[in-house]
Amino acid sequence: MSTEALGEEPGAEPPDTGAPAKSAAPADSADSAADPGALAWARRRRSAARFWRAYRGQRAGLVGLVALAVIAFTALAAPLLVGSDADSVTDAPGTALENPSTEFPLGTDQFGRSVLDLLVYGARISLTVGLLAAALTVGIGTLVGMLAGHYGGWLSGVLMRVTDFFLVMPTLVLAIVLATVMSRSVTTVIIAIGVAAWPKTARLVRAQTLAIEARPYVERARALGGGHTHVMRRHVLPNVLPLVLAQTTLVISEAILTEATLAFLGLGDPQVVSWGGMLQDAREAGAISSGHWSFLVPPGIAIAVVALCFTLAGRALESVLNPKLGVAK
Amino acid sequence: MQPTDENAFPPGPSPRPTPAAARHRRRLRHALCAGAAALALVGAAAVGPAGPAAATSAQDSGDGGDDGGGDGGDGDRTVLTAAVAQSVDSLSPFLAVTLVATTLNRLMYDSLVNYDVKTQEPIPGLAEKWEPSDAGRTWTYTIRDGVEWSDGRPLTAEDARWTFHTMMTDDAAGTANGSYVTNFEKVSAPDPRTLVVELKEPQATMNSMDLPIVPKHVWKDVDNLGKFNNDADFPVVGSGPYVLTDFKTDSYVTFERNENFWRGAPKFDEVTFKYYKETDAAVAALRKGEVSFVPDLTPAHAASLADHPDIKVNDGQGRRFWAIAVNPGARDVEGRTFGDGHPALLDPKVRKALFHAVDRDVIVNKVLQGHGVVGAGYIPPRFADYHWKPSADQEVGYDPQEAARLLDEAGYELKDGKRVGKDGRPLDFRMLCHATDPKDKAAGKYLEEWWGALGIGLDLQCLDNVGDPWVAGEYDLAFDGWSVNPDPDFVLAIHTCAALPESEDVVGQTDNFICDKEFDRLYAEQLATYDDPAKRAETVQEMQSVLYDTGYMNVLAYPNSVEAYRTDHIKSITAMPAGNGNIWGQDGSWSWATAVPAAAASEDDDGSALGVVLGGGAAVVIVAAASVVFTLRRRATAEDRE
Repeated sequence: MSTEALGEEPGAEPPDTGAPAKSAAPADSADSAADPGALAWARRRRSAARFWRAYRGQRAGLVGLVALAVIAFTALAAPLLVGSDADSVTDAPGTALENPSTEFPLGTDQFGRSVLDLLVYGARISLTVGLLAAALTVGIGTLVGMLAGHYGGWLSGVLMRVTDFFLVMPTLVLAIVLATVMSRSVTTVIIAIGVAAWPKTARLVRAQTLAIEARPYVERARALGGGHTHVMRRHVLPNVLPLVLAQTTLVISEAILTEATLAFLGLGDPQVVSWGGMLQDAREAGAISSGHWSFLVPPGIAIAVVALCFTLAGRALESVLNPKLGVAK
Repeated sequence: MQPTDENAFPPGPSPRPTPAAARHRRRLRHALCAGAAALALVGAAAVGPAGPAAATSAQDSGDGGDDGGGDGGDGDRTVLTAAVAQSVDSLSPFLAVTLVATTLNRLMYDSLVNYDVKTQEPIPGLAEKWEPSDAGRTWTYTIRDGVEWSDGRPLTAEDARWTFHTMMTDDAAGTANGSYVTNFEKVSAPDPRTLVVELKEPQATMNSMDLPIVPKHVWKDVDNLGKFNNDADFPVVGSGPYVLTDFKTDSYVTFERNENFWRGAPKFDEVTFKYYKETDAAVAALRKGEVSFVPDLTPAHAASLADHPDIKVNDGQGRRFWAIAVNPGARDVEGRTFGDGHPALLDPKVRKALFHAVDRDVIVNKVLQGHGVVGAGYIPPRFADYHWKPSADQEVGYDPQEAARLLDEAGYELKDGKRVGKDGRPLDFRMLCHATDPKDKAAGKYLEEWWGALGIGLDLQCLDNVGDPWVAGEYDLAFDGWSVNPDPDFVLAIHTCAALPESEDVVGQTDNFICDKEFDRLYAEQLATYDDPAKRAETVQEMQSVLYDTGYMNVLAYPNSVEAYRTDHIKSITAMPAGNGNIWGQDGSWSWATAVPAAAASEDDDGSALGVVLGGGAAVVIVAAASVVFTLRRRATAEDRE
């Protein structure tokens, strides 16, 4: 193994690796040989540019990214775009369940609020919950996966059995149970989704950890006296991160869907405007059978579009970052 | 009611709109699984009318499929199908407390005294006449001659005696209506037509004994009345206008008419209550003619059904009040307190400030969208004799300035937009709301903003089962509501000290842990006034005044009963009371017993639902088309890579 290790250079690794690439850096850089820090930054800039070139080639991913940027901007600028009292029921401008008009392009809800304004406001909750829940999911998943992959043995057995336990449990059912027993708030929904959806990431990260730890340079690091923490922080984590990043993007769309589902089932916070909550309101107001499609269809489409965008971006990211798909240049 | 619609009995349980859409979706799921799940959500929601209705029918058709039919299909039999949503707790009149179960019980069993359908006054039922003697302590009922149970056995005073005696002696049998008989000393039936009830104290409710009487020859063999739900042995012997012939939990309840009913056999051969847990599905079924009657409509439903040529919407005065209850510090009969109600609410000024900030007109106009009456006293205006309105200087009307002034006066200063007490604790209240009742949630949003403007925080806790925190006293505020009977005794009794639980582990009869000496004194007074209805009404009004002044119960509104029926199935159905009454949940079985079938059913029509299907379909097509484009592009890039 040790002889092979000499031939295996981190250059073959995914682009934005941190530590192991250090030894290779002087060979790569001809211009500024003085400062290793500046060298590292130059290399990182280059790999970022390389990554962006590769990502640009993914048209679907680009579409998703642009759409996400627009949605994120809308969500952040919501108070400026539609006014900060768009979700107020006492100051509602219209009458109940109006049809689309020039004043209310998507009609009004049962309180007389503009559905378009609510849609813009709802984006904030959907994105917040999506991002935070995904972060929680991936956080737990990465931790468990790396620990199991690195230490192996009985710890791996125990952690993986726990993972299996959560894996066989349908995510939605688990999330519903958690959202039911805890008080109704946005935090609860985030925790419910985060706790329910992590096993996939854990499995993925464990597999990647095992693959990386089998590589010769890790063995070399060990031989040079690198402890558990060093190996995990300097070698495993940087190599797992690209995968985790792609996984995060995919998990976000799943989290947004779950959030909408929970809100639609009446398990969300009734005091905030969210897309799933709007669907639930529309159902409770009887909009479905009384033909008020303009209250019902827009939030549904919004959920689908945002989930789609994250999926597109995530897939593109995955194919750029995952060398197994043969795209990395 | 003709099952002509193709959606009525679909091949599979899945409510997919069309194979084409399903195919689109499958491809989408294959390529972009997460996006597809979102689409399914849109699709399922948008194509609602066809979806849930079809699913429900499919579920029903598994039970023989004979109950989905109508009068049109199988010739002469007339069937009235009504949609219901609430689950039956028990079909035993000793145990049933839910509105749906007590309504079904009234179809099955008649009572000594009925309420007149027009005036809601007590009128003779199984008892022809009754009279008090011994200063109201002895009541003699004369049982109607020649009344028979549905199995042909005569109905006698012994059946009534056995029913009351069982409720007095068997704790389980007193579960639902035990409070009616706690004051009974002795019940006897000296002859088959005479029932004598001896009381400990005079009791005005003896004039309105509308407890169901059960057949002794059937019920005396029941081992454990606490476990017997009366839903296994069909047909169930009864004395009401209809006989229960079949029941499946949350699926259907079927009745056949009782040819022996003493008021005369009803016109419909069968009455079936079919379960639709979704009002939207029930409304779609009504449009298609699968059901003839749907209760509890939302304002949007009522508005959209009003234009339908074959459907009549009944916007009747409701029997219910809808109120905000304030936790007065939960306590048991011994005065031991429990729970964790906010101490600031014990200050009358804080309560008054809360209600000064509530605009009841807005609640009625916006939340109920006009389908209700602005709240005042405790008993709804439908019961004109007992209804009470606060006087001008007593009334806590909408006045946010006054509310703010009261809070200042009570020592709750406004700091950074929050009202904070002297102990540093902010005025943040929890409020229990019924997750199953959209009204609560909607009104909660208004309260949140009104109180928020005062600096009071509101945490709306919408639960499927509010009972657990409620009986534990773990709430600050709560949405509350009861159906009121023509005799108001029950809804008054639940605010007396005697109704408090025996300890914190026991569920008492109390509604909201209110215990007020003056209220109790008046309660006893009205109960004893058996021979002077006018004087009793006066006392009852005074009680409401006392209750209003405590500030622990504040009635927001009296919601209407909004319901609809098909005029091509039902020629006429009687609302109670005359003029502007309700059909579902009456004090009696009048609506079903006197409904007249229409001569012939006309063609089905679901024009408005079509719009939704088209709209939803268009959305599905747009997203599906977009996804196809993306899929193709993705495939193209994949090929490029390889």
